[in-house]
Amino acid sequence: MIKFSNVSLVYPTSTQTILEGLSFSIEEGEMVLVIGSTGTGKSSLLRLINGLVPHHTGGILAGDVTVDGISTQLVRPGELAHLIGIVGQNPSSGFVTDTVEEELVFSMESLNVAPEAMRKRVEEILDLLALAPLRNRAISTLSGGEQQRLAIGSALVMHPKILVLDEPTSALDPIAAEEVLSIIHRLVHDLSLTVVIAEHRLERVIGFADRIIHIAGDGQAQIDLPEKILKSSAIAPPIVHLSRALKLDQVGLSVRDVRRMTEDVRRDGKDNPLVEKVLTSTAISVKGAAISYGAHTALKNVDALVMEGEIVALMGRNGAGKSSLLQSIVGVKELDRGEISVFAHPPMSLKGALRRATVGYIPQEPSDLLYAQSVAQECAQADKDNEITSGATYSLLQELVPSISPATHPRDLSEGQRLALALAVVLSAQPRALILDEPTRGLDYQSKSLLIEILKNFAAQPGKSVVIATHDVELVAELADRVIFLSEGEVVADGPTLDILLASPAFAPQVAKVMAPRRWLTVNDVMRSLDQETGLQ
Amino acid sequence: MKSLHPLTWWLWSIALIVTVIRANSALYAALVIAGAAFIVWRWAGNFPWSKSFWFSLRLGIFILIVRAVTGVLIGVPIPGTKIVELPILPLPDWMAGIRIGGVVTQERLISSLQEGLIIVSVIALFGAAVSLTSPHKMLRVLPVIVYEFGVAIVIATSSLPQLVASYSRIKRARVLRGDEKPKFKSIALPLLEEALAKSLDLAAAMDSRGYGVSRVRSRYRPIMWRTADTAVFSSGLFLLGLVWSVTA
Repeated sequence: MIKFSNVSLVYPTSTQTILEGLSFSIEEGEMVLVIGSTGTGKSSLLRLINGLVPHHTGGILAGDVTVDGISTQLVRPGELAHLIGIVGQNPSSGFVTDTVEEELVFSMESLNVAPEAMRKRVEEILDLLALAPLRNRAISTLSGGEQQRLAIGSALVMHPKILVLDEPTSALDPIAAEEVLSIIHRLVHDLSLTVVIAEHRLERVIGFADRIIHIAGDGQAQIDLPEKILKSSAIAPPIVHLSRALKLDQVGLSVRDVRRMTEDVRRDGKDNPLVEKVLTSTAISVKGAAISYGAHTALKNVDALVMEGEIVALMGRNGAGKSSLLQSIVGVKELDRGEISVFAHPPMSLKGALRRATVGYIPQEPSDLLYAQSVAQECAQADKDNEITSGATYSLLQELVPSISPATHPRDLSEGQRLALALAVVLSAQPRALILDEPTRGLDYQSKSLLIEILKNFAAQPGKSVVIATHDVELVAELADRVIFLSEGEVVADGPTLDILLASPAFAPQVAKVMAPRRWLTVNDVMRSLDQETGLQ
Repeated sequence: MKSLHPLTWWLWSIALIVTVIRANSALYAALVIAGAAFIVWRWAGNFPWSKSFWFSLRLGIFILIVRAVTGVLIGVPIPGTKIVELPILPLPDWMAGIRIGGVVTQERLISSLQEGLIIVSVIALFGAAVSLTSPHKMLRVLPVIVYEFGVAIVIATSSLPQLVASYSRIKRARVLRGDEKPKFKSIALPLLEEALAKSLDLAAAMDSRGYGVSRVRSRYRPIMWRTADTAVFSSGLFLLGLVWSVTA
């Protein structure tokens, strides 16, 4: 269905070869997963399939890409619209019309499909993706999950033979992600749709993939069965790390497989002693917080405490009020009712240096914080703002990520590097509380483990606390001491990470699913319990 | 209210623009502005383009003020009641016939304001038509020749509100870095970068979804001309006829 013959790609004004001599073919009805670190060319590979690269981006393409026998060199991307549905990384920036129905029919109207056929297909898609209740809604009022479903729907309505998805679940909570992926899985089986999907969070998609394309980053790529690729790849979901750590004969890819292989571990492992953190005093307190936007209530009567030395994760579905709560904690959103204090300061009153020293905030787009023309300038600005010795911020950055050149423009950094730069700028003021909003969106596993390390070290210093809003269950399992779970603006659960994550299967990390009913969340937890055993013997 | 035909409000506002120019009366112009404001406030809904009317009104008032000030200061004064006498600015000989300053009369001020108000009402009516019509729908009823503008229209109408949202987001992030009064340049650069990236994304999305591939475009819902459209349009025509017969 898709055939790459000896494809090489170089972008203009760049000397780096993105892909080199890549050849593979994807059969009809296959679901292929594309993995690789950030910036290695996953999106380029996906956009080569319908010719957006190089027709839209420029660049030199050697070799040939054919789709259903048509070479992408000979036709414009639009002429493949009936064959390929493509959903970009950020669906909201690809919407062309105002309402759900109009968006669904946009492609069909462009290609002059007969009205009767359109009507039938729209109804089909509305049912298939459970969009029927939303059909007359304005797109701007949809939640992230609904927008993602709509973007997929607008691609599927053309009855394409191929569906290309770039990180379809990165903005979604675990439940919404599950919904989207299971729909796609069903289409592969029912309609023999060919799916190519790029995703960082392998734990979400690995169960569905038939084959994996692993892009190494130096232009090389290999394509093989998931078991084979994941046997050696550094990019692997927690469940594979578990198999490796336990030295199982095979790499298990599903919870079911690994459970079968680890009965003895569950039987023999000892319970880990509970590590009680010594908590001294209150860092952040939220009392009776309420915010509403017009008719929509974002927060109603939220009470929460964050102690010094604690890492607290804020979880909940898309639109549960996480961002509103974070924004009122850092003092950019005024509460309608209730009060918040951050180290005894009302956050709305914080200004300038006192603000920097009290609360550091990393927004969803870390680049919002950056405005200088180079990494060096950015660090110098932070040094000046915080009146610290010049070069201190840059050396902090060097500690976090050693390989960043000071002359680079912040825009040219990878997602992970940009996050590290924003963190260095914020941390250089030595804030007492660090607040992060969805920091792992678009991060690969390597950057994620780096982030975990940075945050753990930060919280280990005396008198610091961290609050992090995230959908990433695995991150929470590794990092957080406590989880506050929001639903429709109310706190529905507040307790130790272990209790909260194990309470519902949807929010349980992979390792916990494998090891249930034992109370282990991460590979480390499992290994520690086994070490104890050997230690005792 | 069921949405009207995309051309209805445009035809209505063109009819009204003609009446305003024909009537040449400040009172009538003010009435038309008030009427348009009421209609927009009541029916424009909450779309990115709905705010255009209020923007056009502000633009109009700005023009009105500039016009009134220059009209009073420069040119030949109309004789009448004196409000204030300004010193006359001495000008070189070659600028004979032009006078800056001098006597400001009530008559001069009122006539400038009246002319200005008519211009404001024309701009406001134009703004009202934009506010009341979805540009995306408009695109569908326009002939194929202007089709090429489609990409530009879609990008412009969707990137403007995005720009506003990104602006407040970036400014907020800056405040959080302890930077209460961020410099214009420090916000404008990332803002433009983001707007450009988003526009490219959108253009790529339109391209990969087959926009412009077929010269003929089918319609999912036929865009119908209904009784409500006739009613709105004939109200415009009625006013036109009325003004014409009164001023004839």
